[in-house]
Amino acid sequence: MKRLARWFTRLYPRWWRARYGQEFNALLEDAPVTLPHVFGVVLSALELRMKPSIEPRIVDLASRDIPHGHELETAVEYPRADGSRTLVRNFSREIDLGDSYVTLNHWSRGAEPAQTVLVFGRKGEVDGDFRTDETEMLVLRADGTVQRTEQTVKTWMKYDAIRDGLRERYRSGMAAGLSPDEIFQQIRASHPESA
Amino acid sequence: MSDPTLLVLASLAEGDKHGYAMMEDIARFAGVRLGPGTLYGAITRLEQRGWIRPTKSGEDRRQPYALTADGRRRLEAQLSDLNQIVKTGLKRLKYA
Repeated sequence: MKRLARWFTRLYPRWWRARYGQEFNALLEDAPVTLPHVFGVVLSALELRMKPSIEPRIVDLASRDIPHGHELETAVEYPRADGSRTLVRNFSREIDLGDSYVTLNHWSRGAEPAQTVLVFGRKGEVDGDFRTDETEMLVLRADGTVQRTEQTVKTWMKYDAIRDGLRERYRSGMAAGLSPDEIFQQIRASHPESA
Repeated sequence: MSDPTLLVLASLAEGDKHGYAMMEDIARFAGVRLGPGTLYGAITRLEQRGWIRPTKSGEDRRQPYALTADGRRRLEAQLSDLNQIVKTGLKRLKYA
């Protein structure tokens, strides 16, 4: 039965065998292995193949209130199918000036060059849950060039309430001594469709 | 209580252990004998989450694992939730 189980370990993804193969074989030598355990090995290997990645993991998160707005810094690890991870860092600042607003987004993904996007918006007519804004978006590229886009966009007003709610969850979680990832897990558990 | 990840966290709360030691420990305190595939499925998920980490194993192929600070907090939170469920269940059954 042990030989059968060891044979089925070849069903695991290559990255998994490289990382865990040796210690897993040591366990198969030590532990009693029954037929249900062999099925367990097959199921576990197939599960890793079909669901190679788990959810993103927040490794750093900070939120600060500033005059007329707030800042948010995040660092999130995204698992890849080969078992490696990509780190995405993001800094955003939102400033609300009453009839207009400015948002700054600056992010990098793995080893790719960072990008920065500035949006200047003038608030327009409100229609139900939506507002029509006139915006100018500047994409500041790593090579020093700037891409400018002017457009009329519909802003979903409920977004602000959702964002403020999440920020409050973050504050209360940090006050309770939870890590950013634990706060994210709590939010996921209460609103699985939003995370 | 049969969630393999919770059982692994609870086992490592006592100290560092390699796979076979975890299997034996879990069988003792929970009455559940995890198979190798189930155990390493849980270990993979927990390490990816940053809740456990491998420790030095020397020349031995058996790799010990330890709880991280995040893993300890996660275990405390899960046990606290379970405790609340047990208390409520017992109260409703009028055993408490």
